[in-house]
Amino acid sequence: MRIDVSHRPAYAMATVHLEPGETCVAEAGAMMSMETHVKMDTSAAKPNQGMLGGLMSGLKRMVAGESFFQNRFTSPDQPGHVIFAPTLPGDIATYTLNGGGIMLQSSAYLCSIDTVTVDAKWGGAKSFFGGEGLVMLKATGAGLIAFGSFGGIREIDVDGKFTVDTGHIVAFEDSLKFKVGKFGGGWMAFLFGGEGLVCNFTGTGKLWIQTRTPQGFGQAIAPHLPQRRS
Amino acid sequence: MDVAIRNRPDYASLHFVLASGEAVVTEAGAMMGMDPALRMETNMKGGLLGAAKRALGGESVFLNTYTATGDGQRLDVAPASPGDIVQVDLSGTPLLVQRGSFCAGSPGVNLDTKWGGAKTFFSGEGLFMLQATGTGSVWLASYGAIEPIQVTGTYIVDTSHIVAFDTTLTYKLRKLGGMKSLFLSGEGVVCEFTGTGRLWIQTRNAPALASFLHPFRRVAKKS
Repeated sequence: MRIDVSHRPAYAMATVHLEPGETCVAEAGAMMSMETHVKMDTSAAKPNQGMLGGLMSGLKRMVAGESFFQNRFTSPDQPGHVIFAPTLPGDIATYTLNGGGIMLQSSAYLCSIDTVTVDAKWGGAKSFFGGEGLVMLKATGAGLIAFGSFGGIREIDVDGKFTVDTGHIVAFEDSLKFKVGKFGGGWMAFLFGGEGLVCNFTGTGKLWIQTRTPQGFGQAIAPHLPQRRS
Repeated sequence: MDVAIRNRPDYASLHFVLASGEAVVTEAGAMMGMDPALRMETNMKGGLLGAAKRALGGESVFLNTYTATGDGQRLDVAPASPGDIVQVDLSGTPLLVQRGSFCAGSPGVNLDTKWGGAKTFFSGEGLFMLQATGTGSVWLASYGAIEPIQVTGTYIVDTSHIVAFDTTLTYKLRKLGGMKSLFLSGEGVVCEFTGTGRLWIQTRNAPALASFLHPFRRVAKKS
C-alpha cells in the first residue's frame, strides 16, 4: 500500500494505492472516488471478530467520536486506487507504524491498512478537561495510517518538553507522556490569556499539531449566521 | 489571450491579458479587477429562456462579457467560494458542469441547462446541470481542490464530489457494497461513469461545511 497526499494544505486528499489482495480500512463517508474493481464492504467488526466483538469495537469507536461502522476496501486481483478526503478543510499526514503506537485526536482518523489496529482509548479524566473529548484513538500494529487536521499540519520532534494548546493536538507517538494543565503564566494568564488548558508533553517522540481548530472556526463564523430555531 | 490561474488550490483566481478584440465571458459578480479600458456588456445570453434555464442550473441569470479595446488589457476574475479553478478546453462533445461551478468562458462557448434526469434527483446534486458546447475553454471553480481523472473503462465517484465530465462518459447511480453498506457505510449512493473521457472531482463540498457550522449557530429565543 502507498498513500499519496495532494492538494495540501487546505483541501488535501489521500490517494491510497492498493496492491492485489491488500485491504484498507476507512472512516465511514470518507471515500471520494475509486476504481470500479475495488470492492467495499461495511462492518463494525474486523473479519475474524465475532458479532459481539464487532459490536464492542463499533461502540468504542462511537464513544471516541468516530463512526460505528467502518468501510473496508479491497482490490482483489489487480492493483487499484481509492481516494479519501476528510469533510473539513485541512491537511493530511501519513505515518508508518512499526511496533510502536500513536495516539490520535478522535476526529483525526482517515484510513489505514488492515494490519493496523485502531482502538478507542480511555484518555483518563485529564483529557476530559483537555477539550479533546474523553476518549482518544490509539493505533498500533504495522503499516500505514493517514490522519487529517483542521488547517495545516506541523510535525514537531519533541525531545524534552513541549507545550501545546489542547485544541491544536492532532496526534503523537505514545513514547511521549502528557499532562494537561493550565497555561503557565499564573491565574491571570489562565483566565484572560485566551489559552485555557494546555498539554505538557515530555519525552522523545513526534507530535503533530494543527494550525487552526474547528471550535475556533465555528465560533468565529457563527455570530455572522442567522440564528437557528433549535 | 494569455491566462494564468494563480493561488491554487486554496484561493484560486484567474488572470487574463487580452489582445485587442478578444473577449471573456464571466459569471455575474466574478470580476475582481480590470483595466478600465475594457468594454463590459451585461446580457442574458441565450435570451430570456436561456437565462431562466440558467437560473435553474444554479447560475446567475446574467453573464458579463469583457472585450479588450486595445492590446494588453487585464481582467482578473475570482469565484465567490474559497477553492480551486481549472481550465477545461472543450473537446467537441458537450461538457456537463455541476450547478454553480461555471466561473468564466471563451465567447465561443454556449451554455445551456440540461435536465439531469430523474437519477440526479437521488444523487444529492441539483436537478439541473449546465451544459457547455461550442469552441474554446471554460474555467470551472469549486469549493475544495479539483482533481482531474482520465476515465478509461469505469470509475466511481461520490455524488457530492462531481465538478464536470465529458458527455463521452455515461453515468448511472448505484450502491456500493451490499444492502448493509447502502444504509450504514456513509457512502450512500455513488455515481459510476463508463466510457472514455475526462472527469473532474472536488476534494471537499460546501454542504458538508455548512452542516459542520450549523451547530455553532446561536439558537433563537422563543417568543
